[in-house]
Amino acid sequence: MKAHFRIRRFNPETNAKPYWQDFTLDNVAPADRVLELLHRIKWEQDGTLAFRRSCAHGVCGSDAMRINGRNMLACKVLVSSLAAEGAESVTIQVEPILGLPVIKDLIVDMEPFFAHYRAVMPYFVNNDPPPADGRERRQSPEERAIFDDSTKCILCAACTTSCPSFWANGSYVGPAAIVQAHRFIFDSRDQAAEQRLDILAAPDGVWRCRTIFNCTPACPREIEVTRAIGEVKLAIQMGAERMRARKMTRGGTE
Amino acid sequence: MTTLTTTITEVLRYRGKIGQWSWVLHRLAGLGTLLFLVIHVIDTSWVAFFPELYEEAIAIYQTPLFTIGEFALVACVVFHAFNGLRIAIFDYRPEWWRHQARAAQIVYLATFVVLVPVFALMAQHVVEFYTGRPLDLQLGLVFNRVVVPFGGHVVEFYTGRPLDLQLGLVFNRVVVPFGGGMILALLAGVLLSGLFGAVSGRAGLAGPLLTRRSRLEQVLWGFMRVSGMLILPLAFGHLAIMHVIQGVFSINQGGTGLAASFVAARWAYLGWRIYDAALLALALIHGFNGLRIVFNDYAHHPTVRRGLTWAAVVGCAALIIVGALALISGVPGM
Ligand code: HEM
Ligand code: HEM
Ligand code: SF4
Ligand code: FES
Repeated sequence: MKAHFRIRRFNPETNAKPYWQDFTLDNVAPADRVLELLHRIKWEQDGTLAFRRSCAHGVCGSDAMRINGRNMLACKVLVSSLAAEGAESVTIQVEPILGLPVIKDLIVDMEPFFAHYRAVMPYFVNNDPPPADGRERRQSPEERAIFDDSTKCILCAACTTSCPSFWANGSYVGPAAIVQAHRFIFDSRDQAAEQRLDILAAPDGVWRCRTIFNCTPACPREIEVTRAIGEVKLAIQMGAERMRARKMTRGGTE
Repeated sequence: MTTLTTTITEVLRYRGKIGQWSWVLHRLAGLGTLLFLVIHVIDTSWVAFFPELYEEAIAIYQTPLFTIGEFALVACVVFHAFNGLRIAIFDYRPEWWRHQARAAQIVYLATFVVLVPVFALMAQHVVEFYTGRPLDLQLGLVFNRVVVPFGGHVVEFYTGRPLDLQLGLVFNRVVVPFGGGMILALLAGVLLSGLFGAVSGRAGLAGPLLTRRSRLEQVLWGFMRVSGMLILPLAFGHLAIMHVIQGVFSINQGGTGLAASFVAARWAYLGWRIYDAALLALALIHGFNGLRIVFNDYAHHPTVRRGLTWAAVVGCAALIIVGALALISGVPGM
C-alpha cells in the first residue's frame, strides 16, 4: 500500500516557524512500523529529516512522537494499526511531542523533562548497612508487587507531553517523574519516601494533576500512570507507610 | 496568552480520550457558574440594601436572553456536579481507574437524564409566562425592564443630572466597582501574564521545579472534593426551588408582585438563611479556588500569578462579606 506522510518540520537555522511537509512512500506493508518508514523517508527522499531513535524495539524510549494526534513510540506503532482494514493507502501525521522545546524536526530538548525526573530522587535510598550475610535486602513477592508496574517506565516522556496541565504549565513535575517516584515510594526497602513526598507535595507537584487520564493511554509500556499519580496523592495525605499497607491489602483489586 | 492559546488549540488537536473532553467541559462549566455566582451574590445583596434595584435585577433575570442563560447555567451546574463526583471518586480510589471512561459516559448520560425533565419543567414556566400576553406587550416588558433602566443610568451618568440620584449612585458605587472591577482586574491579569509569557518566550515549556511541600495546596485539594460533595445537594436544592418548583417568573409573581417579599418569606425561616449561608461560603470558596487553579495554569510570571491569586482571595472574601451581610440584615421592612 501507499503511505502519505505529513511531517512537522523545523530547522532553527533556516525556518522562523515549524511547517508541514508531505512525503509519499510506495510498497508499504501493514506490518511495517512507523519508525521504519521514517527511516525510508530519511534514506530515500530527504536526508535532512531529523528524529531520535536508538534501540528500535521499544526499550530505550527515545522516539516518542505524536502520531496521528496521539503520543506513541514510532518503533512500536504498526502501519496496520493506523490504516483501515484492507485499505490501499494510509495517511500518517507525525509531529514532535508538545511542551518541550523543539530542537529540530521531531527532536525535542529533553533536559527540562529529565530535570523534573532528577528532582524526585529517582534512586534507591537505604542507609542501613547491608545484611550480614552479604546478600540482597529481602522483600516479599507481595511487597514487590505493589510497585511492579512503575518499574517498567523507560522515560520516553509520552505521558508527560500528553498532559494538558503540563502543556499549560511546564513547571508541573509531570506524570513520568511521579511514576518514577512511585517506584521508590512504594518500595519497602527504600527509606526516602517521605522526602520524595515532600517534593511532590509542592504546588507544582502532584496537585497540578486534574485527573484527565490522557497519560494512561499514551504510555507505550501500559503503565497505569494516572493510578500511580493518584496513589502518590493519597500517600502524601496518609503517609507512605499507611498507603503501602493499603495497597498491600487491596492493591490489584478494582 | 501563549500557553492559553497553545492549550486550547492543542486540546482540540490532540486526540485524547473522553477524559480530556470531560476536563474541558468541567473547567468551562465551573468558570461559567462562578461568573454567574459573582453577579448573583451582588444582586441578591440588593434585596437587603437597595430593594428597588433588586426588583429590577429579578426583572432582568426574566428577559429572554437570561432565560436562555438560565438553561445553560442549570446544565453547567448539573454536568459539573456529576463530573466533579467522578473526579473525586477516582482520586480517592485510583485503583478503580479502569472504569473511568465508563464513568465519564455515565456522567454524560446522567446529565442528560436529569436535564430532560428539568428543562421540560423550566420550559413550562417560560411558556406560562409568555402565553396570553400579546407580542407587543412582551416586547414592552423587555423595554420597560431592561432598556429603560439601563438607558436611564447611562443618561444619568453622562448628563450629570440623574433622574434618580440614588439609583445612579448605586450603579456607580456597587455595580461598577464590584462586577466590572473584578472582571477587569482579572482580564488585565491574564492579558499581562500572556504578554510576559510572549516576552520571556518560556511559556508552555518546562520550567524550573519548586520543591517545597505545600500544606495549603493539599488542604485545598481535599476541600475541592469535600466541598463539591456538600455543594451538590445544596445547589441542586436551590436550583430545584428557583427553577423547577417555583420558577424564576414566580419570584415576583410574573411581574405583578415584589421579588423582595419572596425572599423575605424565605428568609423568615432561619433554616433557609443557614442554607443560603452554607451555599454562599462553600460555593464561593470552591469556585474562587478553582479560578486560582486556572490562573496558576496560565499565569507564569511570579508577580502576575501573585496578583491574580490575591485578586481571587480578595474577590472571594468581599463577596462572602456582602452576601453574609445581606443574609444577616434581611429584607428591610419585611
Ligand atoms: C438563575 C438561577 C438562580 C436563581 C433565579 C436564584 C435565585 C435566588 C434567590 C431568589 C435568592 C435569594 C435568597 C433565597 O430566596 O434563598 C438566592 C440566593 C442565593 N443563591 Fe441563588 N439562584 C440561582 C442560581 C444559583 C446558583 C447556581 C447558585 C450557586 C452556585 C446560587 C447560590 C445562591 C446563594 C449563595 C445565595 C445566597 C446569597 C446571599 O447570601 O446574598 N444561586 N438565589
Ligand atoms: C455542585 C457540586 C460540585 C461538585 C461536586 C464540584 C466538584 C469539583 C471538583 C472535584 C473540582 C476539582 C477538579 C480538579 O481539581 O481537577 C472542581 C473544580 C472547580 N469547580 Fe466545582 N464542583 C461543584 C460545584 C461548583 C460550583 C457551584 C462552582 C462555581 C461557583 C464550581 C466551580 C469550579 C471551578 C472554577 C473549578 C476549577 C476547574 C478546573 O480546575 O479546571 N464548582 N469542582
Ligand atoms: S510512564 Fe510510560 S509514557 Fe511515561 S515516561 Fe514512562 S514509559 Fe514513557
Ligand atoms: S527507538 Fe528505542 S524505544 Fe523506540
